[in-house]
Amino acid sequence: MLSLKNITKKFGDKRIIDNVSFEVQPGEVAVLLGASGVGKSTILRLLNNLETLNQGIVTFEGKKLDLESMHTNQTIGMIFQQFNLFEHLSVRENVTIAMRTVLGKSAKAADKIANDLLKRYDLTDKVDSSPSALSGGQKQRLSLARALAMRPKILCMDEPTSALDPVLTGYVAQEITDLAKDGLVVLIATHDIKLLEQLACTVHLMDKGKIVESGTMHSITSSPNKHPKISAFIKG
Amino acid sequence: MIIDFQLIYHALPQLMRGAQITILIGLISCIIGLALGTMFGLALESTTRTLKYPVYLITTVLRGTPMVIQIVFMYAFLPIVGINLPPLWTAIIAVGMNSAAYISSIVRSGIKSISSGQVEAAKVLGFSRLQTLWYIILPRIMRVMLPPLGNELIVLVKDSSLASFIGVTELFKQGSIITSTTYDALSVYAAVGAVYLLITGTLTMGLTALEVRLNRHA
Repeated sequence: MLSLKNITKKFGDKRIIDNVSFEVQPGEVAVLLGASGVGKSTILRLLNNLETLNQGIVTFEGKKLDLESMHTNQTIGMIFQQFNLFEHLSVRENVTIAMRTVLGKSAKAADKIANDLLKRYDLTDKVDSSPSALSGGQKQRLSLARALAMRPKILCMDEPTSALDPVLTGYVAQEITDLAKDGLVVLIATHDIKLLEQLACTVHLMDKGKIVESGTMHSITSSPNKHPKISAFIKG
Repeated sequence: MIIDFQLIYHALPQLMRGAQITILIGLISCIIGLALGTMFGLALESTTRTLKYPVYLITTVLRGTPMVIQIVFMYAFLPIVGINLPPLWTAIIAVGMNSAAYISSIVRSGIKSISSGQVEAAKVLGFSRLQTLWYIILPRIMRVMLPPLGNELIVLVKDSSLASFIGVTELFKQGSIITSTTYDALSVYAAVGAVYLLITGTLTMGLTALEVRLNRHA
């Protein structure tokens, strides 16, 4: 289980994340929902040590997480809103480079894992292309393959469908569901209601750096009155 | 015939000796320019004023005055401060310093091309700082910097002819020496120009091949 307790992040005197606590079970998809600028992405960046935590504790599987070493021991992976693919490398190299340099895998072993992942994400015919030659959906899938090649236990996704059309959003929702079924802790920051509606997930609505309401998607759809703020956000 | 090919044939060994000096000036001054230009570029991008402003002044002077003046000035100035170098090395240092001023701009554009997103992606994948520099930042910077650096190297090879002003017997000077005894400036300088073209053409081909290799996934 991933547990965040009293997480706080300040920029100057301003509290960007204000005493946020929540838990995510393995196999569960947790969605941080909210408008732009409420702090959803900052939580993902804090977990990935891209921002420094001012206060709070993060535990995983009962142990306190050292955010500094989370990436070197491959606990966590992240998919960025802008994908941040390595443009000077081919599609296959984007997937293999970290396996070879960080995990020390041989070129043959890394290629095999990459080929399997690229096949799963329907990118086999693009292995030697540049990421710049891919469509938005293909970039999203390559970004997913790159993160999964490192076999993380927690996967963070920042606005994973912001560059995608409704059809591809459905495809991503299915992928997220499959990843959770594989036992991953999946944490998503989004304001995309179309994605939310296709996920069996726990929703945490954020506003001004705080979680203002939480509930499962099943509960929200069956009893909207119990979750007035989330229901209002979904209705727009 | 306007061009005397027999004269050129006999002059070739002497011109080749000059060409060696030309290539030596071009390559070593490029290395000096690259090392110094990188430091200048980093200083110009730095927020430390005591570093930034003196370097700004130096690069402004180097870019704003003719290289031939810088070479002659260095030739006259170095002995005054007790540094006695052969003319060849005086020219190499002067050309290298001039080149550094231009390379500093190239380095700055390289630094600005680094995407923070790609650095973050590397960090998230577990790359160390050194691995990020080697596998992500440098290949990207090189892609941006290589074409202007290649141009700079070619300019240096051509500008090395200015070393003749302080008596360095590089390619152009050798041409002048041959002309002073044969009085056939047209043939000799046609041959000198052809040798310059051969050097810069070879460099261009090598640099183009390197660019293609770096950009194979661009």
